Amino acid sequence: MSLMDTIERGWNGLKRGWNGLIGTRHIKGSRKGTANYSYLNARVKGMKGHLFPKETYPRLMNMEIDQIARYIQESSYKEDIDQLAQSYESADLVEHALNRNLAVSFTKLINISEDEPKYLITEYLRKFDVWNIKTILRGKHVGASSAEIKENLVSAGEYTYTFLSGLAGKESTDEVIEAFSESYYYQILKQFDGTNLSDIENMLDKMYYEHLYQSIYETRTKEFKLFLRFVQTEIDVRNLLTLFRTKKENLAEDEIMEMMIDNGNVFEMDDLKKLVSLSYEEFIDELKRYSLWDKISDCCSIEMSSLIAMETSLKKYSLTYARQFSHANPLSIATIMDYIITKNNEVNNLRIIVRGKSAGLSDEIIRNQLVI
Amino acid sequence: MTEPSIWTNPEGWKAIGAALAVGITAIATALVQREIGSAAIGAIIENEALFGKALILTVIPEAIVIFGLVVALIIA
Repeated sequence: MSLMDTIERGWNGLKRGWNGLIGTRHIKGSRKGTANYSYLNARVKGMKGHLFPKETYPRLMNMEIDQIARYIQESSYKEDIDQLAQSYESADLVEHALNRNLAVSFTKLINISEDEPKYLITEYLRKFDVWNIKTILRGKHVGASSAEIKENLVSAGEYTYTFLSGLAGKESTDEVIEAFSESYYYQILKQFDGTNLSDIENMLDKMYYEHLYQSIYETRTKEFKLFLRFVQTEIDVRNLLTLFRTKKENLAEDEIMEMMIDNGNVFEMDDLKKLVSLSYEEFIDELKRYSLWDKISDCCSIEMSSLIAMETSLKKYSLTYARQFSHANPLSIATIMDYIITKNNEVNNLRIIVRGKSAGLSDEIIRNQLVI
Repeated sequence: MTEPSIWTNPEGWKAIGAALAVGITAIATALVQREIGSAAIGAIIENEALFGKALILTVIPEAIVIFGLVVALIIA
């Protein structure tokens, strides 16, 4: 190994070692060590047993918001509803309880794991750090109240809820950005000039996936390879969703390419460049050559006016993929990833039902949005 | 009178065989019980009602070492 490589590795190690920052949970996973997957898998399977079966959603659709709150209070969300019932009510109560439960569940995963799985879970859950930073910035940018921002915070990543809710109470975006001056997000956040928020959001997302890929692809153990396939599938699904949305809106090629995330499995960068350069009709024709077409062919056509059905199919594909993968690879990181994806989906579904009902949407519209 | 050599004494070989039968099966049991035991603990933490089932599953590999013990007794 050359001297430059050593320095670069050291620098990367230092960047990864930013756990000791104020407001973070001081998580220390390790790429090496004896991970006890039997223990972890048994616990995760136990946690998965507390998730709602799919038959629950039609029942919830027939309930009022307060009834839904009571219903989920009798499940694993009891503690969250109990704690927040004094401060919030109705849809806000459910929303806060869901976010709190999601954060608690994912933090629990980090706490009960060690070494390799802890490292992988922590890296993956940085997604919520990016989500929270984007939420706070977007909230401050449009002048949302501190309470509104807090409603959407999910402290399942490395930053604690106390730290994040403190940021939600700051006066300006500059103060928020300054709070991250020690983190590696700062190199992107400092480019914020008050007008380029969507660019910053895209850059943060791309940086997350780039960092995630960099932190796993070097290690060629079985677990890292499994995890890499998960991440690559997620990148593919995300890229395809972005492609559909942007192509439908006829965005310029450069703008679309800036949103594309590298290192996918089905779509490499060359494929993406080719797809981006095509018209909407040609793009859908070209998609038929890829394996992902089978998953969306039922609901995808040139004439389709709404992308909701296609998006739901892709999300369902992610869920099915995770489930099949966890069955094929028991006692591995696959089971844990399956739980993370399924739990996240449950919370999203509940949120869609509650928010849809509070906004007065019809049952038909809400049902189409659910990923079951 | 010379002391009998360990290499020529059949009793010695029998003792070694018995020791290997118990020793190797005990190691095998330990390896399996490590996995089952930690999974059982994980399951019990999430759901205490599983204690009975978890206990049974954890002691099942004991059969391996018991077979080893039986073989050892037959040899000896």
